[in-house]
Amino acid sequence: MATLTHYIVLSSILFGLGAIGFCTRRNALILFMSIELMLNAANLLLVAFSNFMADMAGQVMVLFIFAVAAAEVAVGLAILIGLFRHVREVDITKFNVLKW
Amino acid sequence: MDLYFWVFASMSVLAGLFTIAARDALPSAMGLLTVFIALASLYLHLHAPLLAIFQVAIYAGAILILIVFVMMLLMAPGERLSAIQANVSYRGSGALLGLCLIGLVAVGTKGVSNIVSMKGVPEGFGNPSMFGDLFFRDFLLHFEVVSVLLLVALIGGIYLCKKKL
Repeated sequence: MATLTHYIVLSSILFGLGAIGFCTRRNALILFMSIELMLNAANLLLVAFSNFMADMAGQVMVLFIFAVAAAEVAVGLAILIGLFRHVREVDITKFNVLKW
Repeated sequence: MDLYFWVFASMSVLAGLFTIAARDALPSAMGLLTVFIALASLYLHLHAPLLAIFQVAIYAGAILILIVFVMMLLMAPGERLSAIQANVSYRGSGALLGLCLIGLVAVGTKGVSNIVSMKGVPEGFGNPSMFGDLFFRDFLLHFEVVSVLLLVALIGGIYLCKKKL
């Protein structure tokens, strides 16, 4: 039987993968997807705790995280398109106009 | 059932690895889609069927599609797609995604209640009526605040996409 520990370890692995992806990749779209991966790891942990503590509030929290993720992606992609119009590139190392 | 957890857990980790390791953005998005569907299957196992549906509908159906749309918008037309189609590791990841979907369909046809035992949780835990009861009574204020957040994001997204900022 899968215990809470299993889910904590799985969630940590997924969050770690997302964090590694966010730190190592340079394509801005893949950075977005790494953030989504980390949000999903957090969601999994909330649902797992909600199940093992028999408290529905954790599941409601996940729905709020869905909304926040949707808002984040909508605004983030709009910013990315705005940047792309100027730089013609999705590589984040090329976005260095503000770098001193 | 233990096997259920291990199958979808290993699938999500493999697909997560693929998401961050793939060279091109489009196969990476397909890896992320596999993660979403594998996690939706795990939500079923954790007595959260409504969240499993939302996971597929909102994450896989709305957020990821938006990302792929932007990807298509920013990619030079026809330039990389043939190279992506020829890559063997991408075909492997496509097979992984297909397996994940078949697993989910198998669960769907067999019925979740045959796989998920209700042991250890109270009667009716996780069903939509209980969820809605909590959501629209105890968390009503939070719900309204989130609706304002989504409206602000919507206006911000439209404003940022204007030709001249």
